[in-house]
This record gives sequence, C-alpha cells and structure tokens, in this order.
Amino acid sequence: MNPDPQDNFENRLRAALQPVEPSEGFADRVMTRIAADAVKRARMGASRWFVMALAASLVAAIVVGEQWQRRQEQAGIEARRQLLEALRVTREKLDLAYQVVNSEARSPSRDAGS
Amino acid sequence: MKTNWHRTIGLILIAAIAAFLPTNNAAAADALLRLPNFDALESKASKVVSISLDEKLLGIATRFLDPKNADDSAARAVISGLTGVYVRSYTFDEDFAYPTTAVDAVRKQLNAPGWQRLVEVRSRKEHANVDIFLLVDRDKANGLAIIASEPREFTIVNIVGSIDLEKLHRLEGQMGIPKLQLEQKESRK
Amino acid sequence: MARADGHGVTEWETRQADEVLVRARGGDTAAFAELVRAQQRMVFSLGVRMLADRQKAEDLAQDVFLQLHRKLSSIQSGAHLAPWLRQVTARKAIDRLRREPKHEVELTAAEGCAVEEQDADPLLEQQLRGLLGELSPHARAVIVLRFQDDLDPVDIARALDMSVNTVKSHLQRSLTFLRERATRKNLQASIRPLRAVNATREPT
Repeated sequence: MNPDPQDNFENRLRAALQPVEPSEGFADRVMTRIAADAVKRARMGASRWFVMALAASLVAAIVVGEQWQRRQEQAGIEARRQLLEALRVTREKLDLAYQVVNSEARSPSRDAGS
Repeated sequence: MKTNWHRTIGLILIAAIAAFLPTNNAAAADALLRLPNFDALESKASKVVSISLDEKLLGIATRFLDPKNADDSAARAVISGLTGVYVRSYTFDEDFAYPTTAVDAVRKQLNAPGWQRLVEVRSRKEHANVDIFLLVDRDKANGLAIIASEPREFTIVNIVGSIDLEKLHRLEGQMGIPKLQLEQKESRK
Repeated sequence: MARADGHGVTEWETRQADEVLVRARGGDTAAFAELVRAQQRMVFSLGVRMLADRQKAEDLAQDVFLQLHRKLSSIQSGAHLAPWLRQVTARKAIDRLRREPKHEVELTAAEGCAVEEQDADPLLEQQLRGLLGELSPHARAVIVLRFQDDLDPVDIARALDMSVNTVKSHLQRSLTFLRERATRKNLQASIRPLRAVNATREPT
C-alpha cells in the first residue's frame, strides 16, 4: 500500500525543518550581551534620571523665578502706590496748614487776644 | 499781643535762620520717630492709612515711578536722598475726641534737641491743628514730622533723610503745597 | 511519563523550569543562563528557518533572550516561557524579513545538522528549506511553527496574533506551493544530467 503522498511530503517537510543548535558558546555570548546591556541601561538610567531631575529643577526654577518676579513686580507697584499716597497725605496736611494760615491772615482781628 | 498769624511767621523766620546757622547740638534726636500703635484710634476709624516705606522699599518704589508721569517725576525728585517715609492716618465717620496719650508720646520725641517746630497752626474755625517739625543738623534738614488733627481725621507723617526743601517747594506747582519758608529765605536775600 | 502539554514537555520539566525561572527572576545569572541553554535550540532554529542565515539567526536569538531578561517579571511560569519565546522570535523574524529587500534564498549547505533518517532525501529537504524563502514572512512562520515546532493551528494563531482560519489558509496554500515547486525542481534536476549526457553524444 502506497503511503499517502501528502503525508509523505509533510514528513519530508518535518525532516527538512528539524531544529538545529546554535554554534558553541551561544549561551555565554548571550550572558555577555546581557551584562553589557545592563551597564548601558544603568548609565542611560542614571543620565535619564539626571536629565529628568535637571528638567524638573529647571521647571521649578523657572516657576519660582516667575513667581518671584511677579511678587517683586507686585511689591514694586504696591510700594509706588504707597509712596504716592504718602506724598499725597503730606501735601494734604501741608495744604491744611497753608489754608489755616491763609484764613487767619485774612481775618487776623478775629484772633486778636488769643 | 501777637496774633496766631504773626506767631506763625515768627516761627518760620526762626526756623529759616536756624536752617543756615551751624548748631552746636548735633542731631541727638533721631529723625525716625518711634510711632506707637494707635489702637484706640484704629478701632474707631472707618479708614486707616498706614504706610511704612524704608530705604529699601523707597528704592523699589523709585524703580516703578513712571518718568513720563508728572506726579511720578515730582515724587522721584522729592524722595531722592530720603531713607524713610512713614504715614499713619485715621479717618472717622463722626467727630471723635481721640485720646491723646499716643500722640503725646510722639510729641515728646519731637521735643528732643534738633527737632524744631517749623509751623504751629491752631484754627478754631476749622477745628484743625497742624504742627510741622524739622530736624536740622548742620544746616541740613534730616527729618520732617507733621502732626495734623481734625475732628474726623488724625494724621502723623514722618519723613527721614536729606530733605531738599527746594524740591519740596517744586512740588507745590503739582501738589499745591504752600510756599512757606523758602519764600522767607528769598525775601531775606 | 506524564506529558504536561502537547509539545513533549513533562510535568517534571515544567516544575524544573518554574524553579529556574524563580531563581532567574531573583537575579541569579546562572539560572538565567540555564534558561538560555534550555531554550536556545527552539529559538535559534526558528530564527534560522525564518531568516535562512545562521549569523542573522544568532543575532535574532540574542535579541530575544535579551528581551526575555528585561521582561522576566512578566513571565508567569515555566510553562509560559516557551510560548513567549516562540511568539517573540517569530514576530521579530517577521519584522526583519519585512525590512529586508526581497531576494531569492540561496540553497546553503551549512544549515545545521539534520538528523539522518532512513529514506532521508537530503536534496529534497534542502530544496524545501530553500523554497521556504519564497513564502511570505507570515506564511513561512506558519509552516515553520507547524512542521518544526509541531504546534497546532490554535497555538500558531496565538503566537502570530492571527485568526485560526488565516493560519489554516496559510498552511493549505503554502503546502500546495511547496509541493508543486519541489516537484518541478526535482523534475528539472533529473532532466539536467540526461541533457548533459546527450550533449556529449555528438551525432556522427
């Protein structure tokens, strides 16, 4: 009885595709590569962390710097406002003295004897 | 009997002369007054203005003055040489006979050598009293103090530093400050 | 001996693999090297059959084990190790084939030591290995996983992330293609020597 040609072909295919071993020392080469990769990743990791930390610091510095600048600006605006207000009050009281003096000068007789 | 007006002029003259005479008393007094807490006034006041600008804050304020603005430019000229500007002002909704204890504490400091009362005005009509003091040291004005009391407002102003009366005079055009002792000096020249 | 799955792995072997995996996850490099040695044949073979080049297959296999080392924590157990490796190897090989320009695969003599069997037909086998190169990357992977690793269509579908019907379709078409091409080559091979003989017989 002739074997089924299809089975025969598939068996030939199986025979053709028998697993093969890599060359001697394959596992050692893999371990060497893994060790090298670990060193590389550690360096990358450190530098990545450094870059991330640096980026975070820069962002924080910019934010803090902007906040500081904003506070300085607000402080300056407020200081100017207070200065002008202080000078206005000073002017007002000097004006008051002037008015009192002037009104007294116009009617000195009223204050005679005081 | 001298009227209030004559007394005022006399005081101004004395102050003007004193401004040019060397004084034996170096300014033992401090131009910076120790201003007390005016709690009794503050508790009754409807509006409180409390300003304390030391040299550092004056520097900051100067940087924010607009040179194109007339008021700002005048202010910049006045505060040049100043090391402090302090104001305490209390406004009341009703006539308030505030206690004078705290005010007396300030007046006491103004009795120290060097402080000279430049102006003293008492008006029964406006019920306003204004005292203007100047701290003079070797014909330089190093301090200015104003105590102004009205029925519904009380104000103390203390300016510290080299006060340029000329520049203060220039403010008059912009701010309506009365021409006081400078006219007197000019009249004597 | 009891079989844990359909791929010839015993329960004992699975338990061993679990223990080695646990140690490897713990950072034991010797344990990881043990895993490599246990699985290198399957990974390398798949690479060779797909890429038809031993050097390329070794590069691929190293990449696969490097990835395994990085992803050890995601391997649930020893039983999952081989399917994971197979899947990663097949997908990496397909990616590389897609990136490479198409070229006809040369029949090479140094393609590993196939086990000599009775009724072996080395020439046919060599031809078949060469004809694999004419299949699309996915079809090639289906054939290799079916006839090298003896996976059923369901496991092949899982490994290659395709439907079972697609796997069956690839199998059918690829087998037909390979059979026809192999037959034609055999006929041509048998005809060539006859022509050479006839050519020497100059008519007088």
